[in-house]
Amino acid sequence: MVVVGVNARFRVVCMGKHKKWIQVIILLAVLLIGGFSIGSSLFSKESIPKEGSAAPQFTLTGLDGNAHSLSEYRGRAVMINFWGSWCEPCTREMPAIQSQYEKWKDSGFVVLGLNLDESPVTVENFVRQYKLTFPILFDVDLRMRNRYGVISYPTSFFVDPNGKIVQIHPGEMDEQSIEEAIRSMLDK
Amino acid sequence: MIPNTKCECGHQNLVGTVLCESCGKPLYDEDGTQPLEMRYDGVARRSQKANPSWIDRIWNFFSSVKVAIYLILAILVGGALGTIYPQENTFINIDPAVYYKERYGTLGDIYYKLGLSDTYGSWWFIALLVMLGTSLVICSLDRVLPLYRALSKQQIRKHPQFILRQKVVYRGEIKEDAEQWVSRLAERLRRKRYRVRTDGTALLAEKNRFSRWGPYINHIGLIIFLLAVLARNIPGWYLDHFIGFVEGEPTPIPDTRYYLKNERFTVEFYSEDEMAESFRKRGEVVPKKYETKAVLYECVADCGTPGKQPQLKEVARHDIVVNDPLEYKGLLVYQFDYAETPRLVAVNLSLRNKKTGEAYGPFRLSMKNPATEYEAGPYRLTLKQYFPDFALDDKGVPKTVSNEPNAPAFVFVITGPGMPQDGQVYLYFPREVDKVKYRQDEINGAFGAEWELSVGGMEDVEIANYTSYLNIRVDKALPYIWVGAAIFMIGVVMGLYWQHRRIWLRIDDGVLSLGAHTNKNWYGLRRDVAWALRQTGVEVDPKQLANEVKKT
Amino acid sequence: MNWESVSSTFLLIAFILYSVSFLVFVIAITGQRWSARDPRQHARKWGWIGFGGAAVGLAAHLIYFFTRWYGGGHIPTSNMFEFLTFLAMMIMIAFIIVFAIYRAPVLGVFAMPVGIVILAYASVFPHDVQPLIPPLQSYWLSIHVTTAAAGEAFFAVGFAAGLMHLLRVVDFKETSKPARREQRGVEFTLFAVLLIVGFVGIFFVFKSAGYSASFQRETVSIDANGNEVTQTETVNYVLPPIVKPFNGTVLQMDPFLGMKSPLFEAPSWMKGVNAGRKLNTVIWSVISAAVLYALLRLVFRKPLGAVIRPALQGIDPEDLDEISYRAIAIGFPIFTLGALIFAMIWAAEAWGRFWGWDPKEVWALITWLFYSAYLHLRLSRSWHGRRSSWMSVIGFIIVMFTLVGVNLVIAGLHSYAGV
Repeated sequence: MVVVGVNARFRVVCMGKHKKWIQVIILLAVLLIGGFSIGSSLFSKESIPKEGSAAPQFTLTGLDGNAHSLSEYRGRAVMINFWGSWCEPCTREMPAIQSQYEKWKDSGFVVLGLNLDESPVTVENFVRQYKLTFPILFDVDLRMRNRYGVISYPTSFFVDPNGKIVQIHPGEMDEQSIEEAIRSMLDK
Repeated sequence: MIPNTKCECGHQNLVGTVLCESCGKPLYDEDGTQPLEMRYDGVARRSQKANPSWIDRIWNFFSSVKVAIYLILAILVGGALGTIYPQENTFINIDPAVYYKERYGTLGDIYYKLGLSDTYGSWWFIALLVMLGTSLVICSLDRVLPLYRALSKQQIRKHPQFILRQKVVYRGEIKEDAEQWVSRLAERLRRKRYRVRTDGTALLAEKNRFSRWGPYINHIGLIIFLLAVLARNIPGWYLDHFIGFVEGEPTPIPDTRYYLKNERFTVEFYSEDEMAESFRKRGEVVPKKYETKAVLYECVADCGTPGKQPQLKEVARHDIVVNDPLEYKGLLVYQFDYAETPRLVAVNLSLRNKKTGEAYGPFRLSMKNPATEYEAGPYRLTLKQYFPDFALDDKGVPKTVSNEPNAPAFVFVITGPGMPQDGQVYLYFPREVDKVKYRQDEINGAFGAEWELSVGGMEDVEIANYTSYLNIRVDKALPYIWVGAAIFMIGVVMGLYWQHRRIWLRIDDGVLSLGAHTNKNWYGLRRDVAWALRQTGVEVDPKQLANEVKKT
Repeated sequence: MNWESVSSTFLLIAFILYSVSFLVFVIAITGQRWSARDPRQHARKWGWIGFGGAAVGLAAHLIYFFTRWYGGGHIPTSNMFEFLTFLAMMIMIAFIIVFAIYRAPVLGVFAMPVGIVILAYASVFPHDVQPLIPPLQSYWLSIHVTTAAAGEAFFAVGFAAGLMHLLRVVDFKETSKPARREQRGVEFTLFAVLLIVGFVGIFFVFKSAGYSASFQRETVSIDANGNEVTQTETVNYVLPPIVKPFNGTVLQMDPFLGMKSPLFEAPSWMKGVNAGRKLNTVIWSVISAAVLYALLRLVFRKPLGAVIRPALQGIDPEDLDEISYRAIAIGFPIFTLGALIFAMIWAAEAWGRFWGWDPKEVWALITWLFYSAYLHLRLSRSWHGRRSSWMSVIGFIIVMFTLVGVNLVIAGLHSYAGV
């Protein structure tokens, strides 16, 4: 009887110590795995950029044949304009955009015209015709259009020197509204 | 110091033990008449401490079956809410912030704001799954060890109170020799595949103990399954894209180095004689088979460099049909859908002199991203203008109405022998209908009368008829998911299709006390006991064996 | 011989045999009072006759199934009609298995109607043998659908036994609040059964009278090029339109009881012609069930539960509880295997992802979670008895919703039904 009792107590003492460690290990594992999973769902979702969120990065080939990255323009106010030569509102606003670009480019403003996957010949002709001098980039396979969640053309994203989207404007813009947007970025 | 309770049989039990580990005598409810609580055979499940630490508290929380049931029900309800409106992952290009409010009004807006538009990816739903997984682990660990202890060292001779307070009970007189009777009964029970151990005038018959482990095995299966599901969040383990592939064009697969070309897509429909008569009358057209002849390429150089064409190397080929994907190194390409999108892909042109009959070329003119320089014999053609979807605006100026090659128009400047110094301008429409509509020959004037760009025959015209929608997937966690599911099935079948039955009896002074227990299917147990008794001459109806319990 | 009509004939034979054996089971239970023989013997004898009838009916049902398979070239589980007839067949098989274990004739009185009602409900859907569209052309169709139906069949039997248990123990004479709640619950469950019966009845009444009405609806949308596109949808109603589709115009409408135009219009959030038709169907089902219920109450002058209760006196409630639990315990692994695991395997093969949170998949999961909650709750003795029975009833309602509700109400990859 005494032997049984001692065995029982011994067993419990042994297990008791182990038990604490098992508990700690399991709860830690839960924390890690759970935290990782919940974190993934909270953060890694590539959601459509909204006003206030960071402008997604890209590197695209320009009409000049060189690669251009959005990060190159950090420190400058940027207007990202998604356009196509078939899209009438896009072509209508081009003179206004060009005019504003000339007015503000020395203050650190730049326009990046992201063309919606047209052939270089078409784009060249268009740029020549409208006498555009700001950088024109080819959004090959419309990847950036998808990433930026653009669903109508034209759409313009105004990105401040810190890389944050301060305004998203779907639809045609006139000189006044473009100027307002530029001012708000440069004043900050 | 760990306090113990000593039973009258002399065995030391841990605090919290309900039935003595040795003889089974109830340690608490000694004078009661209720049937005994036989969970885990009454052993102490956790060592009770006076002051549970916070670790203990968390542990006990997850160890509770009640909490587990609440978690199951919470996931149930949460899941149901996600079916009210279509989820975000079912659309491709729609902005959820706007969609729900527009289509479903205020309720839709609330739905979106609560995060229900992406229920199954939301942090709270995943948190519930994580908690359920934790509960699975902790519940099982907490119970399997005490259960194993209890079942592996069972006493044969149990306390009379233990025996007579079971749910199936028999008490009667045995006139013959006790030990002989017991061994005869043991023989009978062994034939029914019970494992019988005797101790003189006491007996323990047990059957199907393995089924008790069923729940723990199925929990292990579920844990593996859940871990595999969560593992999909590991970068590179999971990919899921729906992409349309136009016939003839190698199209890149995002997030990978692969390109896929739909060489040819075919769709077959059921013919009238393949349909049943009554269905034929409905006049519906039902697709029988869709198939994509697909070629997979891997980009080996210049993949992300803007301005350079990626170098592709063919790595796999497969005819993809609906339930038969292309597989390559864990990448799976499934046939999903198709659309009829007839359009011109390219033409092989020759520059012909209509007077002399000579033809120069051919060269391939692509409708998408055409090159700027072409050679046809001694002649050089430079592409100056390209309109994929030609039209004239209200001022008569050429423009394009879309980026799709629905009505392509090309403006070339041709240089070479016999051409003007600055080059000859030539307007070319690949489509016959456009040639006529826009009077190509008139526009090209005198030059057009002598020269033309044309195709030799239909074989020089590349047309794509279909766009095939394929689903590209990678899912490294998949094998583990099947393993988890299989283990779950084994556990659940073990636990539910067999029952753990035990019969204890003892004969004291010619009086037989018999008690029996099972975890489910009392009906079958009673029949077993009645059968066994009948074999030894004791006639008893199974119903009579049920211990009269106080109904709750 | 036209195999299509041969198989339909055998289905009809099965239906008749099932109904007859149901009546035999009723005689087995109720006839005890005026039989000259010993009531137990009477019940046993008639019980075995009923069982025999059900077995022969099942044989006819199997012939229907196999002839249709042979003639149609694919296993007949590919649309609503085929699936429901298959489910009814599995319910009969599950019933026969459980009856063979427990030998309780009273089980026949409740389990058989579940199968018969489902068979009747199946018949409102188009009967034609449709050739299989590519996504369904896989041997997994046989495996997934049949196993899932088998699991659900056992849940159906569990439901029948659970309902029997409630009818046995819910005391309609008690007036305390919890008792009243239970009585209302029982009446509601019986009403739910009447919903389906009423719907089937009314459907056939109007169909054989040749009633029809049709509506048209135009929707204007903007396509990718910015052009306006007008789509016209039409819908045919078999039941008189109490509710017409939102923004729908009447193309043609047979008058009914002096009603020449629809009474109401579906609310604006019910977009689509079919939404209006389904709402109309639901309204008619509710009306017919209400009428049936009212008539029955008038005839019997007491709650329906109280009417049925005496038939169950001969059986021990604990046994009913056990039968219900056992049926669910048998069905649960089969259901998991068929409705979840085989479904996942097939989905992984056909659509490339084993789980996509499609509404049908989610509701199958909900069903599974519910029954696993049931099994866990059974660990506690306080959950045996009434509470278990309620859960088995609710569980089966969830099963029916997954079958009917999800297909008809919620859109998704799975909605092959189209009625």
